Amino acid sequence: MSAPVRAAAPGSPKSLARSRPRYGEQLIKAILLISALVSIATTVGIIVALVEPTIEFFSEVSFGEFFGSTTWGPLFSPPAFGVWPIIVATLEITLIAILVAVPLGLAAAIFLSEYATPRVRKIFKPVLEVLAGVPTVVFGFFALTFVTPVLKDWFPFLGLEAKNALSAGLLVGVMIIPIVASLSEDAMAAVPNGLREGSYALGASKMLTSVRVVVPAAFSGIVAAVILAISRAAGETMIVAIAGGFKSVFTLNPADEMATMAAFIAQAGSGDASVGSIPYKTIFAVGSLLFIMTFFMNYVSARLVQKYREVYE
Amino acid sequence: MTSQPNVTIRGPEVPNTPGSLDPVFTVEDLSVFYGDYEAVRNVDMLIGRREITAMIGPSGCGKSTVLRCFNRMNDLIPGAHIKGKILYHDENLYGDHVDPIEVRRRIGMVFQKPNPFPKAIYDNVAYGPRVNGIKRNMDDLVEEALTKAALWDEVKDKLKQNALSLSGGQQQRLCIARAIAVKPEVILMDEPCSALDPIATTKIEDLMQELRQEYTILIVTHNMQQAARVSDRTAFFTADVDSAGVRHGRLVEFDQTTRIFTKPSDKRTEDYITGRFG
Amino acid sequence: MAVLSTPKSAVELASKGRPLKEHLFRVALLSSLAIALIFLGMLLIYVLEEGWPRLSPTLWENMPSIRRPETAGIQSGIFGTLWIIGLTALMALPTGILAAVYLEEYADRTRWYNKVIELNISNLAAVPSIVYGILGLGIIARWLQFGFTVMTGAITVSLLVLPIVIISAREAIRAVPPSIREGSLALGATQWQTIWRQVLPASIPGIATGSILALSRAIGEAAPFLMLGAATLVRFNPEGVWSSFTVLPLQIYNFISQSREEFHVLAAAAIVILLAILLLMNSVAIWLRNRYQKRW
Repeated sequence: MSAPVRAAAPGSPKSLARSRPRYGEQLIKAILLISALVSIATTVGIIVALVEPTIEFFSEVSFGEFFGSTTWGPLFSPPAFGVWPIIVATLEITLIAILVAVPLGLAAAIFLSEYATPRVRKIFKPVLEVLAGVPTVVFGFFALTFVTPVLKDWFPFLGLEAKNALSAGLLVGVMIIPIVASLSEDAMAAVPNGLREGSYALGASKMLTSVRVVVPAAFSGIVAAVILAISRAAGETMIVAIAGGFKSVFTLNPADEMATMAAFIAQAGSGDASVGSIPYKTIFAVGSLLFIMTFFMNYVSARLVQKYREVYE
Repeated sequence: MTSQPNVTIRGPEVPNTPGSLDPVFTVEDLSVFYGDYEAVRNVDMLIGRREITAMIGPSGCGKSTVLRCFNRMNDLIPGAHIKGKILYHDENLYGDHVDPIEVRRRIGMVFQKPNPFPKAIYDNVAYGPRVNGIKRNMDDLVEEALTKAALWDEVKDKLKQNALSLSGGQQQRLCIARAIAVKPEVILMDEPCSALDPIATTKIEDLMQELRQEYTILIVTHNMQQAARVSDRTAFFTADVDSAGVRHGRLVEFDQTTRIFTKPSDKRTEDYITGRFG
Repeated sequence: MAVLSTPKSAVELASKGRPLKEHLFRVALLSSLAIALIFLGMLLIYVLEEGWPRLSPTLWENMPSIRRPETAGIQSGIFGTLWIIGLTALMALPTGILAAVYLEEYADRTRWYNKVIELNISNLAAVPSIVYGILGLGIIARWLQFGFTVMTGAITVSLLVLPIVIISAREAIRAVPPSIREGSLALGATQWQTIWRQVLPASIPGIATGSILALSRAIGEAAPFLMLGAATLVRFNPEGVWSSFTVLPLQIYNFISQSREEFHVLAAAAIVILLAILLLMNSVAIWLRNRYQKRW
């Protein structure tokens, strides 16, 4: 080797200049940076993929028709482009999902963060992880062939259709429980122990401490978790396509079949809409809308997380 | 002198006059910044070859900050930079041509908390030579370093064991062996005993006396007795608050350890070593 | 004068009134987890029961069909999934781990571009998977003209799981204490030597766990493939990266979309296979994490 064992040199040793060039280090750093930039390229790619067909879409369909009417049927003839039915369906299914996931997920988070002993945590954490790992197509199947028939049996007065927003929403809710639970738990874990001890020292019970001290202190993190869960629910495709259906009628009744934005994209995208046709461009227009909505929510959520990290870390 | 500190003091074998000191480092008007914050200002010191120089002072006085300038570990903190000069054998340590990695190969460091790598004892010692491109006679090199660190007899039968299985004191001596294996000229020690019990501390202090035959040692400690026991020269740092209310570390007094502990020339030094503050 | 009444105050120290409410709260919290657990159990039992009649070798030996549910299989789906996952592992894992190394070890977080990269990654992690399908369709299949092939599917799903790989790898790298890095650098190791010989070996269990979880996400993903022509009936296994393909989840979706009841049995059987694969991967990941979790 070029670098012999250096004696503990008496007098003046050789210069402190670089003994051999290290171009490798620079090269490696460049490769690492490029890898990190792939994520930027992905975002750019998504935007590029969406923008051009969306502009073309709006050159043929007016903004007024898209946002101003309530009849949706780009795949029919004559086509109709009033986007509200699929927006309303998306919001409605998201709302049902949130009603399921927020109480359950938050309770699970409080339990895991404040009550569970390490041993109990070791049992329940994997349950949430496995739940998070169940493919959505499986949830969709379960909603369609099990939950809907059971609900029909138990609550015949609801008048559920074979595909309906209710079952789809319930299962989307179950799907996002792990998101609410684990992110809220992270936020609660970041609450300094001093706050809890302060509360106990004043004679507060565990319940009071959890509800009045820990949850408020972790509030921005919990809000971030819920927003992220909303974004996930709004973009979920397979469950709503399987159990919610593709019919786009302007309705608020959760017993009805209704197509969300994602379901529409799935339906139109899996068919053979020919490139350049209006139905094909509609996919991208709806995709842009969905992307903007979720992008906005994700951004707000990420900023909230950054904020609570700054406060407590 | 009114109150003598109750400490043992090394014999006065160090030459008295600064002229007879053979400097490894010459520190000239050194100030250290973190971003805009000036953590330490205007330090002048000479570090003599094969001497033990101790840096003492209350916490927050910048002694560790100064220590980390000698092997350019401060470079790793974003925004950290220095003004002034540190000469290493007449070569500017912060010169444009200087490679911090080359510096660290010449100037070893031992940290406050023992930080062996989670690998075999052997691999811990061999790590430095390996990253420096040395491949031959590794077994001899490892044995030599462990022997010099007074650890060989304790570990020679379990070199393949994970270093984390050693006791705290053994881990710290392993870290010293690890530093020695690169054959540095200088060893920087940042409060090497603060995480150790008294027996382990004594072993490290004895070891330092051995190492002094061959290496130049700089040690930061906030244990005054330790500085008095082991060092040839002592630098006393303190922090003062400027008119804007900002704390800056500064060097108060730098002299032979015997002098610092018997007749310090500065009132603040005297107050500190007699335990009136800090 | 204050009268000392020690006995009385001692009595007052005993709890009063609270326990029932406390107890109910605790039960309510616990039952929310129990609901999740019961739900998961029901789902598994239901699927297993439904799919049981078709859980035989014909399931993986035969090709799919939408005419004869009694002999239809899922072989092309299984092979398609294997191809996609193999390629995804080759593309997404190295890229993601290297990006994580950059962000944790090299990036100066005060720089605006590094902040942008970080925010962008957490954003991408939550972009709906169907939007990735649009990316695959618009850019990879059409613009790059890769067509509806295994390659297009693998690139698309690689980009989809990349943020997950990066985020979990970063966590694993961050768990290596800074004192290890300092120790290595102080011995004159270069930054890359430190990363390669100390940081990465110490974080491999964490990285592996995260990687497996990311790949299992890719295995279960169906939505993006809907956009990539994988929804059509594919009765052959992929022959290479430029072959057309289907994946197991989409095969399941196809069966569910059929109206005949026998296809639902077939779908359930295929789901059992899919879940078995995922459960296996998850267990390996959890085992790895528990086995190698280091305490510093």
